Amino acid sequence: MWKYIFKRLVLLVFTLFLVTTATFFLMQIMPGTPFNNPKLTPEALAQLKTTYGLDLPVWQQYLNYLVGAAHGDFGTSFQYQNQSVSMLIGQRLPVSAQLGAQALVVGVIAGLFMGAASARNKNNKIDGTLGIISTLGISIPSFILGIVLVYLFGFKWPLFPVSGWGDSFSQTILPTLALAVSPAAVTTRFVRSEMIESLSSDYVQLAKAKGLSAKEVVNQHAYRNSMIPVLTLIGPMAAGLLTGSTLIEQIFSIPGIGQQFVLSIPSKDFPVIMGTTIVYSAMLMVMILITDILTAIVDPRVRLQ
Amino acid sequence: MSNPILKVENLHVNFNTYAGTVQAIRDVSFDLNKGETLAIVGESGSGKSVTTKTLMGLNAKNASIPDNSRLIFKDRNLLDLKEEEWQTIRGNEIAMIFQDPMTSLDPTMKIGMQIAEPLMKHRKMKKEDALKRALELMKGVGIPNSEEHINDYPHQWSGGMRQRAVVAIALAADPEILIADEPTTALDVTIQAQILNLMKSLQKETSSSIIFITHDLGVVAGMANRVAVMYAGKIVEYGTVDEIFFNPQHPYTWGLLNSMPTTDTQIGSLEAIPGTPPDLLDPPKGDAFASRNVYALAIDSKEEPPFFKVSDTHYAATWLLDERSPKVTPPVQIQKRWARWQEIQGQEA
Ligand SMILES: Nc1ncnc2c1ncn2[C@@H]1O[C@H](COP(=O)(O)OP(=O)(O)OP(=O)(O)O)[C@@H](O)[C@H]1O
Ligand SMILES: [Mg+2]
Repeated sequence: MWKYIFKRLVLLVFTLFLVTTATFFLMQIMPGTPFNNPKLTPEALAQLKTTYGLDLPVWQQYLNYLVGAAHGDFGTSFQYQNQSVSMLIGQRLPVSAQLGAQALVVGVIAGLFMGAASARNKNNKIDGTLGIISTLGISIPSFILGIVLVYLFGFKWPLFPVSGWGDSFSQTILPTLALAVSPAAVTTRFVRSEMIESLSSDYVQLAKAKGLSAKEVVNQHAYRNSMIPVLTLIGPMAAGLLTGSTLIEQIFSIPGIGQQFVLSIPSKDFPVIMGTTIVYSAMLMVMILITDILTAIVDPRVRLQ
Repeated sequence: MSNPILKVENLHVNFNTYAGTVQAIRDVSFDLNKGETLAIVGESGSGKSVTTKTLMGLNAKNASIPDNSRLIFKDRNLLDLKEEEWQTIRGNEIAMIFQDPMTSLDPTMKIGMQIAEPLMKHRKMKKEDALKRALELMKGVGIPNSEEHINDYPHQWSGGMRQRAVVAIALAADPEILIADEPTTALDVTIQAQILNLMKSLQKETSSSIIFITHDLGVVAGMANRVAVMYAGKIVEYGTVDEIFFNPQHPYTWGLLNSMPTTDTQIGSLEAIPGTPPDLLDPPKGDAFASRNVYALAIDSKEEPPFFKVSDTHYAATWLLDERSPKVTPPVQIQKRWARWQEIQGQEA
């Protein structure tokens, strides 16, 4: 097990190195510089370039960046002078992480219940309604849901605040809901099909033949077997949340890393774009690793391999 | 003499499907005596599994059973039971061994726990006590080093060991009737023999009755006391093992015996029965086997044959046994079996 985790960590570091390299060179190709203000004198421009090390040859810049990144230093923001990228991200990451975690937990739990309810009422009205809801949930992007939620619960029935973060928990409710819908829908569909398969399996037949009631069969056998595979979804769902959160943070004025990312693109704040991209990839890979480890812990079939 | 623990009377099972009503079981009656093993044999689709599922109250949702069908067990008609009452019988008084050990154990539950489950349910045992008993059961079905393996998960075990666990689950609550639906078809031959021997010796210890389902007559000889031959949702012939093997009367039984691989070179030969079983959505008039039967008489396509008595224990539903029927000569292999029957009878006399 430890050997496996170690291997995965090595792989993770290597992948991050590739991501870093790729983003670095992509930034080089991007047209324009953040310093194309016509008011800048050539001397001032040269001064700025030296400050940021942009006068060095590209390979030198690349090495500097790699060494820095390995130490958690992603340079200084162009846009907010004297602010290090690590600090910017460090301030905003917890906000996004909280939002993402809330959305994931709410979404997955709702999905588990709806999926199980759907499967146990297969092909009747409950199943049909949940089927329509989950299809909508999967096909409507979270930012549109965000806008709809703002309209409904911010203006029509002003129940919740529609912007800001950190002043009260109620501020987190609408953005969490907007982001949770997609994981809830994905989980619902997945659990439904897993559960239907489980309920028609031989081991459920055997459980019935033991004299267990329908409820005991579901609680003692079908649930566990149909929930374990949901863990494998968490990685991909986290990826969806990352991308979804960029727009949701914009809509709800949440000072998270996603909002930062969006803001730094038009201002060509390369260090921030690069740093955020790398942190995003790292988070995603860690999520997938955690998922795999959890699966191994929970699923006896994986555990021993 | 006979002491039936279970009486199946006029059982009909229909399945409602989009295409119409599948008449899967069409008037089946038989008794199961205490301590005996009754084998039910027949080709695929003849209704063996539907019969066993009916005995467990586990038929598919689209099944319907007419009111005149009766399953008498301990003075009750099981078909009148409510679901909660069924639950006190399943796994407790009537238990079942399933066909495929690779899929019939819960992959995410420890095997010891799976064996303990019926004990907790029916004997109201606490978990620790049930697990203790599960360990004894594991030893009883011959799982080596049971102590070390009680917390294993199914994927850690071979098919043969898993089937032993499935047997242990079925035996956990000491059932009076054990139904084994092709308990060895998924296993390779040597393991098959082990499981069958295990079932036989356990039956001796517990004096339970076994209904043994198979499409392989080869395993029947060593296992069963009596045999019922099923075709297209009906029993067409039943008798003791010797009677069915050496004095078969129904042409379908002849066909089954001739398609059975045998090491007995004197009897020899391997021929499948030509043709396919009839469509149970619209079963034919008369004898359902007629269209595949080279010995069919004119009456077979008009009227269904009743059971003709061959002996007190042996009955067959074929017009060939009617006194008006012309005498036919069965296939040579069957003639050899009949000759053997004469020898056996001679020895006994
Ligand atoms: N739920 C169902 N709906 C419709 N038809 C069914 C259903 N269950 C069984 N049948 C039909 O009933 C008939 C008997 O099936 P059964 O499973 O008892 O056969 P079997 O003798 O056990 O065969 P095998 O040797 O293949 O196991 C078949 O024609 C089958 O298609
Ligand atoms: Mg079957």
